[in-house]
Amino acid sequence: MPRKTKEQIESENKENEVKKATVKKASTNKKTAKSKEEKPVKKETKSTTKKTTTAKKKSATSATSKKESTKKTVAKKTATKKASSSTKTSAKKTTKKSTTRKTTARKKSVKKQVKIEPVEYYDLPYRYNQTVVKVLAQTPTTLFIYWDISDNDRKKYEEEFGEDFFQNSKPVLIVYNDTLGYKFEVEINDFANSWYLHVADSKCDYRIELGRRPIVKNEKLKNDYIYVATSNEMESPNDRILFNKEQKMVYYKNVKTGAVTEKPINTLSFITNMGKIYDIYDLYKEMYQNEDVKEIYDLKNPSSHPSS
Amino acid sequence: MQEKKGYVSFVLHAHLPFIHHPESDDYLEESWLYEAISETYLPLLRNFKKLEDEGVDFRLTMSITPPLLSMLDNKLLQRKYIKYLKRQIELSGKEIKRTAGDERLNKLSHYYYDRYSDDLRLFKDVFNCNIIQGFKHFQDIGKLEIITCGATHGYFPILYVNEKTVRAQIAVGVQTYEKYFGRKPRGIWLPECGYIPEADKYLREFGIQYIITESHGILYADPTPIYGTFAPIVSPQGVVAFGRDIESSKQVWSSIDGYPGDFNYREFYRDIGYDADYDYIKPYIAHDGVRVPTGIKYYRITGKTEFKDYYNLQWAKDSAEKQAGHFLDCRTAQINHLASFMDKPPIILCPYDAELYGHWWYEGPYWLYILFKKIYYDDCNFKLITPSEYIDKYPDIQVATPCRSSWGANGYSEVWLNQTNDYVHRHLHVAGDRMCELATLYPNAKGLKKKALNQCARELLLAQSSDWLFIITNGTMVDYAKKRIKDHIGRFTKLYYQIKDDKIDEDFLKDINKKDCLFPDIDYNIYG
Repeated sequence: MPRKTKEQIESENKENEVKKATVKKASTNKKTAKSKEEKPVKKETKSTTKKTTTAKKKSATSATSKKESTKKTVAKKTATKKASSSTKTSAKKTTKKSTTRKTTARKKSVKKQVKIEPVEYYDLPYRYNQTVVKVLAQTPTTLFIYWDISDNDRKKYEEEFGEDFFQNSKPVLIVYNDTLGYKFEVEINDFANSWYLHVADSKCDYRIELGRRPIVKNEKLKNDYIYVATSNEMESPNDRILFNKEQKMVYYKNVKTGAVTEKPINTLSFITNMGKIYDIYDLYKEMYQNEDVKEIYDLKNPSSHPSS
Repeated sequence: MQEKKGYVSFVLHAHLPFIHHPESDDYLEESWLYEAISETYLPLLRNFKKLEDEGVDFRLTMSITPPLLSMLDNKLLQRKYIKYLKRQIELSGKEIKRTAGDERLNKLSHYYYDRYSDDLRLFKDVFNCNIIQGFKHFQDIGKLEIITCGATHGYFPILYVNEKTVRAQIAVGVQTYEKYFGRKPRGIWLPECGYIPEADKYLREFGIQYIITESHGILYADPTPIYGTFAPIVSPQGVVAFGRDIESSKQVWSSIDGYPGDFNYREFYRDIGYDADYDYIKPYIAHDGVRVPTGIKYYRITGKTEFKDYYNLQWAKDSAEKQAGHFLDCRTAQINHLASFMDKPPIILCPYDAELYGHWWYEGPYWLYILFKKIYYDDCNFKLITPSEYIDKYPDIQVATPCRSSWGANGYSEVWLNQTNDYVHRHLHVAGDRMCELATLYPNAKGLKKKALNQCARELLLAQSSDWLFIITNGTMVDYAKKRIKDHIGRFTKLYYQIKDDKIDEDFLKDINKKDCLFPDIDYNIYG
């Protein structure tokens, strides 16, 4: 992929982020505008090929074509909708103004009539040209990671490790579990800019490091590993009742006074009745004898939206 | 008279994303608001009023989200709603004539005509076009507790990589609440019940006392709460969390054996928008001629069959009353069982989407009315309560950190973070970072720059609505949701560069300020 200067990229980004044209321009330059916009769309879909380490590869081509086609229709719809509506509003405005401003010269009001409301069209920026790694928890054991390396940093690596550094090395993610104190490495590829990763342990602090491993070593590229960036640190959610906690006291806070009190677990009537603290799950089983408790948790709760 | 051994607490979450298109009448999505007013919000208010008039002491908690409040308070949308009602009245008037030969159908046509006419009367004459006052009234007389929500329903577990953006969602949520209700909210409905411990300090900073979580938010808490979801817990930072009761949720939500599936209830998917002759119905469907629901529905669920019977208003009421009785009996048994294990009265928390009541489950508001009456008059072992009242009565609460969780499918973040919508997150994060950058760069901006910075904050908040991600996952109206993300990120980014380059386009700013006009009093310094 030919690389561009920082300025070129910046200006291209700005351009892609914001497309403003008058109705007239939009109609006459439709073709050129369209072909310009398609470029980043294609790039984006190509590079966002998603993978899950355990999941099998999905057909990337079908996903790409689907994405592209939806984007195109959105753009078309918007353009037509906005075009029709904007003419309506501008017409209304001029009539209002001409009635209130009786004394203004005719020339002026004619000028106003010609003024056409802007048509807005935006596409998401292809990239932000920053070196970044971010991690989010999709589930207690699935992490979502995305990343990018800025052009400046790319240049630095090429200066230090040779022009073909990115061809001669492959990207890896190192997953640090800081709660249990272990790490492991996952090989990724340069066509992706995000990844879903399965981890074994829920309720743990994770952080992800993006780095590169040389495929071919040479005079400039002697290291076994080159560090690129580290993500935010995050805790994955818990996914079970914490049966195995050894807790002798239960702490209470009086939310009015702030006073904290403690009670030994074995003095609580609930516990006496239930035998031990972590039988809540059994309580549910008892209460919902005819139900599969697991299924109750998996209830597909509709979210808060009318179109669901 | 039975001794009161426990409490039941209903929480209805009323939310719609901010949809406001002064530039066009063609956006079908605007009708979500009109449908929700006619099918959920006004029916709820009608039933609350009936309870008040009948002297029934009831308690209910509702979150009314800031975007919904902003839309209900919006003059243009109020006018458009009246226009919508007039069209509905016109259509049901035509239906009265069209169905003259069929007594059962004709009765239903009259019902719709009367109902929409009454909506118009209530909306214009009683509420003066602003139903927020209607809800406020019930809060003021102590029957309803209104709580707030994140500013635009931004999903915290995704936003929190930049905590300032979570703080801003909370801050604006609280400010909007204060503006409309003249006091501070005691509770918050976390958008999508998305809980992260990192938000606790900000919740406390803005005076929030309690949150609502999904069941496993409590059950998987650390340490394990000794009373499960039947008593709240308090986080180390001091936020009280109430968890959704599993059993009562299932009774209402379940698509298989939940109450809304009763055969006598109104069938949601049969609508004259689909059924009526095309030329006849054309003026009342989408502008581009696509058939869409009109709200006039003549059939009942009938059973697992394509051949639907006509809806019968009385039968539907009978079913609602029977089910209210069933719900009451179940809670009585549940509380009897639980009270013997606990050293304080259990609380059964029943949170639902408000729009389930009326919009999806047409008879839901009536069911609620009957249930509240039964609880008040029948000899049952529990009372209705709001979370605030429970906290005030029983302030000694077990300390535990709730589990990171949401109320979406499978309980975590899959609905708002999956392969259909994960391309969005980096844009939300960058825009969040850029907003903080702007607030740090220009802490004392004035005039046009200040206006532009405030508009940036609005655009960022609107881009963060969890609704867009949800709609993309859900697969309906996807184009609209994607466009909204592009529009808000696009407008934000354009302004961001204009501010930094000191070349603010005033016309552009005016234009987007007219469209994205919520939170008129926002102060971008919340990102500083």
